[in-house]
Amino acid sequence: MDNKYSFTVNGITHSTGEDKPLLRFLRDDLHLHSVKDGCSEGACGTCTIIVDGKAIKSCVLTTKRAVGRSILTVEGLSEREKEAFVYAFGAKGSVQCGFCIPGMVMAGKALLDQNLNPTEPEIKKALRGNICRCTGYKKIIEGIQLTAAILRGEAEIEPELEAGADYGVGSRAFRIDVREKVLGYGEYPDDIELPDMAHGSCVRSKYPRARVLSIDASKALALPGVLAVLTAEDVPNNKVGHIQQDWDVMIAVGDVTRYVGDAICLVIAESEAILEKAKKLVQVEYEELTPVRTIQEASAEGADELHPGGNLCQKRRVVRGDAKAALKSSKYVVSQMYKTPFTEHAFLEPECAVALPWGDDAVKVYTTDQGVYDTRHEISIMLGWAPERIVVENKLVGGGFGGKEDVSVQHIAVLAALAVKRPVKVKLSRQESINFHPKRHAMEGTVTLGCDENGIFTGIDCDIYFDTGAYASLCGPVLERACTHSVGPYCYQNTEIRGYGYYTNNPPAGAYRGFGVCQSEFALESNINLLAEKVGISPWEIRYRNAIEPGKVLPNGQIADCSTALKETLEAVKEAYESNPGRAGIACAMKNAGVGVGLPDKGRARLTVKDGFVEIYSAASDIGQGCATVFIQMVAEATGLGRGQIKNMGCNSDLAPDSGTTSGSRQTLITGEAIRMAAVDLKAALDAAGGDLEKLEGKEFYAEFYDPTDKLGADLPNPKSHVAYGFATHVVILDDEGRVKEVYAAHDSGKVVNPIAIQGQIEGGVLMGLGYALTEDFPLKDCVPQAKYGTLGLMRATDIPDIHAIYVEKDEQLPFAYGAKGIGEIATIPTAPAAQGAYYAMDGILRRKLPMENTYYRK
Amino acid sequence: MAQKRTKRMAVVNCAGGSTRAENPGAGSPQNGCRGALEAGEKIIECGYGCLGLGDCVAACKLGAITVGPTGAAVVDREKCVGCGLCVGVCPRGLIRLSEPEFNIFTRCQSAADGPTTRKVCATGCIACGICEKNCPAGAITVTGNRAVIDEAKCIACGMCAVKCPRGTIGDDWKIFTIDRA
Repeated sequence: MDNKYSFTVNGITHSTGEDKPLLRFLRDDLHLHSVKDGCSEGACGTCTIIVDGKAIKSCVLTTKRAVGRSILTVEGLSEREKEAFVYAFGAKGSVQCGFCIPGMVMAGKALLDQNLNPTEPEIKKALRGNICRCTGYKKIIEGIQLTAAILRGEAEIEPELEAGADYGVGSRAFRIDVREKVLGYGEYPDDIELPDMAHGSCVRSKYPRARVLSIDASKALALPGVLAVLTAEDVPNNKVGHIQQDWDVMIAVGDVTRYVGDAICLVIAESEAILEKAKKLVQVEYEELTPVRTIQEASAEGADELHPGGNLCQKRRVVRGDAKAALKSSKYVVSQMYKTPFTEHAFLEPECAVALPWGDDAVKVYTTDQGVYDTRHEISIMLGWAPERIVVENKLVGGGFGGKEDVSVQHIAVLAALAVKRPVKVKLSRQESINFHPKRHAMEGTVTLGCDENGIFTGIDCDIYFDTGAYASLCGPVLERACTHSVGPYCYQNTEIRGYGYYTNNPPAGAYRGFGVCQSEFALESNINLLAEKVGISPWEIRYRNAIEPGKVLPNGQIADCSTALKETLEAVKEAYESNPGRAGIACAMKNAGVGVGLPDKGRARLTVKDGFVEIYSAASDIGQGCATVFIQMVAEATGLGRGQIKNMGCNSDLAPDSGTTSGSRQTLITGEAIRMAAVDLKAALDAAGGDLEKLEGKEFYAEFYDPTDKLGADLPNPKSHVAYGFATHVVILDDEGRVKEVYAAHDSGKVVNPIAIQGQIEGGVLMGLGYALTEDFPLKDCVPQAKYGTLGLMRATDIPDIHAIYVEKDEQLPFAYGAKGIGEIATIPTAPAAQGAYYAMDGILRRKLPMENTYYRK
Repeated sequence: MAQKRTKRMAVVNCAGGSTRAENPGAGSPQNGCRGALEAGEKIIECGYGCLGLGDCVAACKLGAITVGPTGAAVVDREKCVGCGLCVGVCPRGLIRLSEPEFNIFTRCQSAADGPTTRKVCATGCIACGICEKNCPAGAITVTGNRAVIDEAKCIACGMCAVKCPRGTIGDDWKIFTIDRA
């Protein structure tokens, strides 16, 4: 081919004859993997590079249009710039999942080249084209400010921070993954290139509900470079599912599709380009059927049944005391209906997996998920294999937020690799990801809450209806958490909650940061403000009067433990709330840490001393929240060793023991405690060896942590549902135009393990909560998603308010994991009701539907 | 979500691709654009585009506007301070103020239908909708036979400029588009 398109990349001239997106040339031809493929639509900014001094998205520019240009990627930064960005982003906590980071670095670099002393608004403007879903942008902005200061010579790199000699619990820990993520050499599955690797992708249903009449792949198979086309017939057991196996791997001829994400057949080809062509050549005949669009349609008498057991996927009933009688005799009662939408996780890294035949009779899959053992379990069900024959290894995970708990591409890649006996990469396009993976459940709920003349809650009656879409995913536990947490972190004993999850032909709904609690606590907290009004006390006061305290009994009967600090979080935001009358809203929340409810929720860890290092083996996915660093801190705290002597060996089902799913805010507490236990044993051995780690060479220290809980509805006076609860109070403050000006987020997460990281977790959670409240939606037209990544309503850097992350640390802590309780989910729960409360305070209109209408953000 | 910003910059909503009218003698620089229009002189075939007779050039105190090789006014981004004098004098209302860091523009405001525009202009918007379809942010709509960008939604990614088959949508950084101007 004539290499007619020439340009320089990082100072070296390159030529190509192919006219294609520059992103593809940089990644596929030059193997510059810092340039991330987050959407290939121009929306996300992960592929940002610098072209002739301007930050642009490389998926938009083409090789043809790049002729003569000078192109710079992270790989081409000077050593000084690299070190400045690495240090600044680590010191400020700018890096979480890391998938947006190289793009942020390049957007920042383009700005600093023009202006080495930018203002905060200038930085925000420069980052406007780059989405971050983890940090809430604040820490990235601070990272760029510090980079600028270093490059100006006004701040210095302190190498000892990254070296981490002092790395224990509570110290400012420089995350272990900062360098690889900032410089872009850390591997996500899409960065894997193997010799002889093929590519696989599914043809997905054209309609949400249609009978598949025929599949004709002959034209696709005739295309040179196409290796195979698989259908349902080629799947040993055509069902997967995280808990309920109701999810067809592919829809067989004669069967009916359940949503537009359903796979019809799997095409495997030599290259992604051939794959795209081949997919278009597959001819599928459908008989289109009327979809079931809503909970109402699904629950109507005579509704078409989408699954053999009918359309009611899950139900729960949570009862204590006598809610009816309590409400009847209450001085004040408020009953309201609330409606919340599906929400897309919008993690920056779309799903991708690479599978390959492994040994004689096994298969290995590299993935980006929230639990390698979960993935192994689902694949073993599909193949009918013993789980040990499937090896699952996590690469870096570019965000999850619950959306990577179900298998998406892993099982597909395994099928493909076994069929063609070669490594196969399967990744979802951004739109495929949006259409395919489970969302946050849409809810319609009615809450009736009563109180006495002093505002003390008396009882609650609650109906929660969830649209769980095409498949169950995690409907059961999510619905259960919505029910059990609909009561809030308060002291009252009469509760009756009914929850229902219905199948429809919408995309499935499953786990999403907050796990059902974002929905039900929005309803509850909004009702509380109305009760406060009737009693004649402030929204702050009514919460404080009812707030749970150590030793008091939660509505589920659990006695609040010594670490409970909800009142402290209320006190921490009191002044901010009260000094903004008519402009401020407040809400509290609680969230379990650990799966609880009687399930065998175990943390497991093995520490091995090898080559003078302590190696941590514990399969607990770090999806960006930073648990891989937290575990090293736990070992450092127990042993006194520095970061340089401790290695986290990651998540591989062949090497590391199962430490459960990254879900339920559990890793810091549950896995953290297992690691602490093992580390304490190691420390004892180390002391016995006179402090000489070399003497322990080859020794292993294993620990399993399990703190039993009681199952839901256990007939006990005070059942213990969860190992721990985190508590929080958020205050949202509006300006006179109705824009969110400030958010105060006070959290009780027990002992803070890493003060840099927790702030970023809180800020990111708050921004996600604000998006839920104000801008994010997931419109469906007859069950077909209408949103693209760029129109989901994700907040950009220019939209953020000033977020104040506050953590209250008590002296009394739980005896696990040095007292840490986990922050993952709760940071995103109270924000939406607090925002609702702020608008209610401003104009007296009760907005019962999210995203809220008639605000500065949405008319 | 619009941000309040103070700095502005002039943008010309015409790329100047129209066929010149066969009308010898019409369009004297003394009469300028407004004069030519008032005299009923036909300068270009397009009924909406830039006449290129320089009313804006004359109005600009900083020498930031010239009439470019395609016959339409071109703003020098280095010199423009966003005073807005040119905006008021353009008889066809083709100039408006935008943000200086904003680089993507629809350079046509013809309300004529696609086939008509195609006949008279090499760069005019034919309302094909390719930009609307490819915009990741939902910021472009084709209304009144032309692409209109909602700058509050636009993230200036340049996708529309790359995909536009007519070169109507321009990139003032001249990275996504190779301009004739």
